[in-house]
Amino acid sequence: MGREGGYDTIVIGGGHNGLTTAAYLARAGRKVVVLERRHLVGGSTVTEEIFPGFKFSVLSYVVSLLRPEVIRELELPRHGLEILPLESTFTPLPDDDYLVRWADHDQTRAEIYRHSPLDADAYDRFGQLMYRMALAVKPILSMVPPDPTSLSPKDLRGLLRLGKHFRDLGEADFFMLYKLMTMSSADFLDEWFETDPLKATMSASGIIGTFLGPRSPGTAYVQLHHYMGEIDGAFRAWGFARGGTGAVAESIASAARELGVTIRENTTVGQVIVRGGRAVGVALEDGEEIMARTVVSGLDPRRTFLRLVDEGDLPQDFVRAIRRYRSVGSSGKVNLALGELPNFTSLPGDGHHLRGAISISPSQDYLERAYDEAKYGEFSSHPYMDVIIPSLIDPGMAPPGKHVMSCFVQYAPYALNGGWSDEKREAFGDAVIDTLSQYAPNLKSAIIHRQVLTPQDMEDEFGLTGGNIFHGELSLQQLFFLRPAPRWADYRTPIRGFYLCGSGTHPGGGICGGPGRLSALEILKDGAR
Amino acid sequence: MSRSFDAIVIGAGPNGLVTSAYLARAGLSVLVLEQRDRVGGAASSEELWPGFRFDTGAHRSAQLHPAIWRDLGLGAHGLELVRSDPGVFVPLQDGRHLLLAESASTSTDSIRAFSAADADRWAEFNGFAEMVAGFLSAVFSVEPPEIPAPSRSDMFALGRLGLGLRKLGRREMEEVVRVLPMSCLELLDEWFESEPLRGVLAGVAVQGGAHGPMATGTAFNLFRRVAESGSPAALLRPRGGVGRLSEALASAARGAGAEIRTESRVKHVLLKEGRAAGVALEDGTEISARTVASGAGPGVTLLGLSDPAMLDPEFVRALKAIRYRGATAKVHLALGELPRFEGIEGAGRHLGGAISISPSLEYVERASDAAKYGRVSEAPYLEAVIPTVAEPELAPQGKHGMSVLVQYAPYHLRDGTWDAAAADALADTVVETLGRYAPNLPGSVEARHVLTPAGMEQKWSLQEGSVFQGEMTLDQFFFARPVAGWARYRTPIEGLYLCGTGTHPGGGATGNSGYLAAHRILKDAKGRR
Repeated sequence: MGREGGYDTIVIGGGHNGLTTAAYLARAGRKVVVLERRHLVGGSTVTEEIFPGFKFSVLSYVVSLLRPEVIRELELPRHGLEILPLESTFTPLPDDDYLVRWADHDQTRAEIYRHSPLDADAYDRFGQLMYRMALAVKPILSMVPPDPTSLSPKDLRGLLRLGKHFRDLGEADFFMLYKLMTMSSADFLDEWFETDPLKATMSASGIIGTFLGPRSPGTAYVQLHHYMGEIDGAFRAWGFARGGTGAVAESIASAARELGVTIRENTTVGQVIVRGGRAVGVALEDGEEIMARTVVSGLDPRRTFLRLVDEGDLPQDFVRAIRRYRSVGSSGKVNLALGELPNFTSLPGDGHHLRGAISISPSQDYLERAYDEAKYGEFSSHPYMDVIIPSLIDPGMAPPGKHVMSCFVQYAPYALNGGWSDEKREAFGDAVIDTLSQYAPNLKSAIIHRQVLTPQDMEDEFGLTGGNIFHGELSLQQLFFLRPAPRWADYRTPIRGFYLCGSGTHPGGGICGGPGRLSALEILKDGAR
Repeated sequence: MSRSFDAIVIGAGPNGLVTSAYLARAGLSVLVLEQRDRVGGAASSEELWPGFRFDTGAHRSAQLHPAIWRDLGLGAHGLELVRSDPGVFVPLQDGRHLLLAESASTSTDSIRAFSAADADRWAEFNGFAEMVAGFLSAVFSVEPPEIPAPSRSDMFALGRLGLGLRKLGRREMEEVVRVLPMSCLELLDEWFESEPLRGVLAGVAVQGGAHGPMATGTAFNLFRRVAESGSPAALLRPRGGVGRLSEALASAARGAGAEIRTESRVKHVLLKEGRAAGVALEDGTEISARTVASGAGPGVTLLGLSDPAMLDPEFVRALKAIRYRGATAKVHLALGELPRFEGIEGAGRHLGGAISISPSLEYVERASDAAKYGRVSEAPYLEAVIPTVAEPELAPQGKHGMSVLVQYAPYHLRDGTWDAAAADALADTVVETLGRYAPNLPGSVEARHVLTPAGMEQKWSLQEGSVFQGEMTLDQFFFARPVAGWARYRTPIEGLYLCGTGTHPGGGATGNSGYLAAHRILKDAKGRR
């Protein structure tokens, strides 16, 4: 069969990583087509006008981990990317007190001092430590994971580099990093702070996207993973994208198009065509076949290998590894169109505290109890929430005088007892609104529209297996050289010419671009393999 | 000052005794000081009521390192380890039950009643667990390296470990690395579906800790137990009681020339020019020695028996950050008759092993929830043994003694303290819980004795009632046990060593910590000469 369309590379899925891979490949001269199932690119990084005049960052809602090298190399600001800083984190408390971490350091210090003078001091030292830790991990994020079980020169070189990196950290920082890799975020923070809401709000970043409570070991690493974007020295990458997170994907798409990439929306891939152990193209659901010598999947590993590929084309071991790859969702999303701003009883008015994140995390026990319910198959009746009001920063997101509010909610287990239904979805939405109303009583009457997304919806509409927002959990046994499966952490797959580029590969989830970029670089290394 | 010794060992627990035996064998004059009236520490037997002998601490034994067994000639000192067969009996309230034995056919027949798939996988799982445990055993028998800059000899030792791992084969090597950080839930999801089987394995994995089986890192503890016992289904006991293990070790130490003084409570470690020079006893006696090895935990030794002001503040900070969090209690019952479990006739062989109240993994997890909030589980996880089934002489004619390990009973109660009423309430809960499975049990209880975490602290100087002198979690393991940078049994005080289970590898009464500590002490002494 010839080269219909004359593409040499097909990228399945127009999420931000797929687009990134496409752009890098095109930059190197490849002729690339991106096939996107939905009517718009972005995947989980989309802005949609769900209700007239109200634009929602439907799923992912803040930009934090976007790799500086991707921004630089693809010249994303020129393609419209503009990050508006997220100024503060406001934690309303049930006793009509609050805790705010402001953009301004002195103001934050004074606020923490109000709760605990000891914590105010510790906060500075903690910040410096996390900065050093993020720097210690950063190089690892931009390297292809070496396989410690392999004796190949490439892997040994990588391991030596890694060993030297750890030695250079020095003893104290190495041990601290080890603690971060293995401890729970609650325990880690307990060593530093005494103010419960402060610890709870900080440890909350360790549970995002995981099916773990803040007291479960392993969450300190997720906390660091989230910290990394926040304190990246090269670029202030923590904030809202103007136009919503979809604007991130659009800027990458724009860069890709300029480099010659073809993007086809409303195009659903049914199967990867494999001949003689190598990928030769894809068959669309409507029967069309597109041939290319390289096929890259931005979908999660389970969806890629258990749905798009015939199991017979894969080694049994590999299929087994993919089957047990954990991708269980724990979070939901509630998007609200509001007639007026929420008025928090603990800090009334529409001051600066509404312009950043609003965290419903009054205590560590609160988060832990929210988790307990989910462990046994119920959604949290009083969930953890990370709420933002993008229209305050970017008025274009809502009609004049109106607002949009994005609530990331945990925990909502994918495997809900009895399964998700319309009633359960609404009950979950109600629990979210009821919880928020305890802090901002005017919220209920301010709501014009609401959109509730359960992990089941995330799977059905956005193709996230199990509704897991990271394309698979960020647990130790699924990181680095084990992501998504041992021996296959270098973006290659057992099928020649077939690659992965999504969040299910190193360095993992979040609006990051790291997997997409590293994948493209590996593909290019293989040349016309 | 009375006479002087080459080495003083504080505490005649299994590890202290192993250390003293090895030091004495090397020709050192050794004095062991034990605060109680008998040797053994938390591995000792006591007559709680006339004619009733109980293992008040550990009620099972680990298989000792073959080198210890051989070097100390423990067989000749009267130690005989007996395996119960079947090893575990899991009663359910509906009258069904699960029996696990080391003979595969007993187990598979029993498992098959719950799940044919699980029965088919049992043998494979055992092989897998043994493979992982084999690697752990290798790790347990080496001194941790200096990390992150290992010395040449460390590199050699690490290389040997690496080679050992490599010998396993590449796939096995990947598996070991992959499964160790998992939660028990994640591990068992890959293997089994039947609830009682998942429950009993989960119970094994959480013993002695504060976490539930859904917490990351608990799989490690399951494999650790397999390394210690030889099988997940094994119940290993010294004939005559756990105290016999300690008595045999004491006999071996004495035989090698060590002197053991009971009822000698050390008040503090004496220093001379910043170096350990001996100990002062509570009664005012001072005894000098060049080397002092403490079998007590790191906090008890370095913050209690020595002056923290002598230590670097960063080191003190690290010491204070060690997590203990004991959540295990013991209840001892004098029974007028054997318990009759629903659905199983009489005093069958099911009563000879461990009786595990762990109907499901979720049951064990729910039991752990209470501990997170400082409460005692209302439906606790229990492991009961009735040694009098095999050895009737441990109780008066016709009577029985039942030793029950209870979780979770957190050391830190949120409401109240561990007073007599709290201990009584705990015993009530335990008897009621057992009564749900064996209705005749509550009526047959003639006397009961409770050892709370606070009681264990008082009795055996186990800080916060932690039976491992510090949680067995990944962040407190290997080169990070007891404190990162000080994993080689030395302390910042020259001449003062740690040799208890709070040092690598910790865990059950394997004697490994004492063995490795003795070798470190002897190596250092050789270096000095």
